[in-house]
Amino acid sequence: MKNSRHPAARSAWAVLLSLLVAIPLFPAVGCDLNDPDRDVKRLFPESTGYRTLYVSVAGKGGPELLHQIEARLGDSFKGLYETADVPYTMYQVYKGKDLIGYIHGVNQKGRYGGLQVFLALDLQGNIRSFYFQKLTSQVAKLLRDPSFGRQFEGLNLKDFYGYNVTTAATRGESRVAAIRNPAPQAEDDFRAALRAVKKNLILVDEFLLGNRYKE
Amino acid sequence: MSRQTSVLEAQNLTKIYRRGSEEILALDNVSLVVRPGEFLSFVGPSGSGKTTLINILGGLDNATSGRLKVGGRMIFDGRKGLSESELTRIRRQVFGYIFQKFYLVPTLTVEENVLLPFAFFKKPGSPDGALGLLKSLGLEKRTRHRPAELSGGEMQRVAIARALINKPEILLADEPTGNLDSKRSEEIGHVLKSLNQKEGLTILLVTHNAALARMAQRTITLRDGRISS
Amino acid sequence: MARRINVYQVAVKNLFRKKTRSALTVLGIGLSAWVLLSLLGFNRGYEAALNKDIDNMGFQVLVAAKGCPYEAATLMLKGGTGLRYMNESVIRDILRHPEVEKVTPMLMQAVFDPNKGESGGLSAYLGVDPATFPALKSYLKFKQGGWFTDTQAHEAVMGYEAAELEQREVGDLLLIPEKNIELKVAGVLTRSGTQDDGTIFVPLRMLQKEFGQEGRVTAVGIKVDRRADITALENKLYDLPDVQVVSMAQVKETIMSLVSTAKVMVLSIALIAILIAMLGVVNTILMSVIERYQEIGIIKSMGAMPWDVFRMIWTETVILCLLGGGVGIGFSVVLSKITDILIRRLLPYTPTGSLVAVDSGLAFLTIGVILGIGLVSGVYPAWRASRVRPLESIRSEGE
Repeated sequence: MKNSRHPAARSAWAVLLSLLVAIPLFPAVGCDLNDPDRDVKRLFPESTGYRTLYVSVAGKGGPELLHQIEARLGDSFKGLYETADVPYTMYQVYKGKDLIGYIHGVNQKGRYGGLQVFLALDLQGNIRSFYFQKLTSQVAKLLRDPSFGRQFEGLNLKDFYGYNVTTAATRGESRVAAIRNPAPQAEDDFRAALRAVKKNLILVDEFLLGNRYKE
Repeated sequence: MSRQTSVLEAQNLTKIYRRGSEEILALDNVSLVVRPGEFLSFVGPSGSGKTTLINILGGLDNATSGRLKVGGRMIFDGRKGLSESELTRIRRQVFGYIFQKFYLVPTLTVEENVLLPFAFFKKPGSPDGALGLLKSLGLEKRTRHRPAELSGGEMQRVAIARALINKPEILLADEPTGNLDSKRSEEIGHVLKSLNQKEGLTILLVTHNAALARMAQRTITLRDGRISS
Repeated sequence: MARRINVYQVAVKNLFRKKTRSALTVLGIGLSAWVLLSLLGFNRGYEAALNKDIDNMGFQVLVAAKGCPYEAATLMLKGGTGLRYMNESVIRDILRHPEVEKVTPMLMQAVFDPNKGESGGLSAYLGVDPATFPALKSYLKFKQGGWFTDTQAHEAVMGYEAAELEQREVGDLLLIPEKNIELKVAGVLTRSGTQDDGTIFVPLRMLQKEFGQEGRVTAVGIKVDRRADITALENKLYDLPDVQVVSMAQVKETIMSLVSTAKVMVLSIALIAILIAMLGVVNTILMSVIERYQEIGIIKSMGAMPWDVFRMIWTETVILCLLGGGVGIGFSVVLSKITDILIRRLLPYTPTGSLVAVDSGLAFLTIGVILGIGLVSGVYPAWRASRVRPLESIRSEGE
């Protein structure tokens, strides 16, 4: 292409477009549903609406609450991104005026990137469904397979109290022991997912269920 | 200052209104002298020209011909009438007005309504506040009320107080009891009479109310723009 | 204590007669003041934010591979491999010019990531030379770690937001999809408020090797000597074969000219909004004068001169304008975030940082404009009121 009378102007377009396309600005990180209207309906087909709540550990109870949650998790909050002031988005799902369930997602460090683990729960805190909204893995296909998520259905926080997130050991009658890793080569992502589920359930218990499952 | 023999002198006042091509003779050669401290009432059927006369005497309007002196000063000498600003200056010094409708400002309290003229002009010798005047009119308990909270008679008394705050020489009252019942009308009549007798205030009153008219010292009857008696 | 009342107090109280009408008029003025102040703040803020973004690119001139820019963008949107390349030797040619202080080569590569978003998306990596790039981007600071340990290392430095999204810290791994290449995070940058926050930087040499682009770059950033004439250098660089020269000043100008069309449009709308609001003021005051015709007549009979009445009515206009201006400023402050979002929705390109920079100077200017237009608008109703003759107004009730 010949240089036009305003080559710099044409070049400016190139820079602009390349900036827009190739290096998108990432939004501030929370763990919201990508498309709440669509996703709530998918997870709760019987629903007619939902309400969104924004909570944080720092906002509710500060350092003391953080210690309590860490104790329940059996692990401390780590690193740059797992802090007391992380905002959590919780969805209350309605059918008409009746509350019928909850949806909540958490961020968790995976092997190659952040995992976003979402749970749909009934009013007692039992898992209705599990899925990865975000997962970077060479074997992502195996972990995203619905058969993996189905293993979590019916489980609740009581089951996860029997699971040690640091050693991956289970004790007692915990049904977590029955969950199989479909991708042994991605053991760290599998364990990250289990930690994410336990943390998810603890936060829901704390913010939505009134500590129904507090030990 | 020497006492004037007349506060108001009108000679051959005529007022013609033009409505399109039609000419209406509202006043026809009216002459009259008002002495200081007189209480004069003007009566007559509707259209007799009494309101027209009182408006001209009170500096609210100019006559078409004739002469008018107020307080010894020539207001109108048959040629050009005074400008609105000049009339305003005279009105300020000499006249106070009350009308059938009270025209109180609804957003101001009774006290503020009475003091309203001071926002524009304060005559030397006027009182510093309104309380004395309001008390003399029996309104000392209503100073903070708004007009909507007053009876018709009270509102007219407030209007009277407002008209008097700048110590006018002459009070013009055009149908002041037109909107009041007979009891209140009588009250107002007594107020006016009292002001005249105790304060020596010159009062020009236009009224259809015969009883009220009788409270005046002198009654002038108009008919078809002329003084008939 | 003697009580007095003045014309201004009467004017204030008059506005309370029809509270709803006064409130709606004030709201109308407030909305137009909000638009005006936001626009003035935007004029200031946008240019400042754009300057900051452009300055923060670090280089004043960018030399990129020649080609149809639209084609490049389209290809990138579709497959990520449509970029045009320059030979690295162009750096030598650029350095020959004495006006050039520093240069840094860059290679942009993108791959399709099936795990990205709902149905996959592009993941981009910017190959940079750790020896020269940091010097041109001196504002970049590290939250953790530092630049690459080696020019060929399989490492990455992540912008703050890119790292936060992936929950990456120093020592963590990243995966380049398609190629299945593992990178180790060597550093995480602090927030810079620029495009770099979302960028993943990798060593240039490593990227060239892994993507089969040895000896090639997509752009060269140039820092021009302070004393040099940038335009003269640009003109000389145009002579280089197969390159296009992008001056950041030109980029800024292009963006500003895009934006100025929008600005003119919004300014026109703001002025129309103000005129409409002022018509509202005139209507409100005029209606109020007509409703108070007789009362004004009485006030005249009490001794008010025409100027007194004019002053009283004009004061009502001033009060409405001042209140409206204040409300508009309040809206600007409270709704600044929403205004920012609205503008970002409207414009094709918005720099990072706050778009609307409102300060007390602009606030006063807005009030001044509103007041000025208000005073002019208020003349007619005030003049009408001052011309009322007591007799006519009293007689207008009629016998």
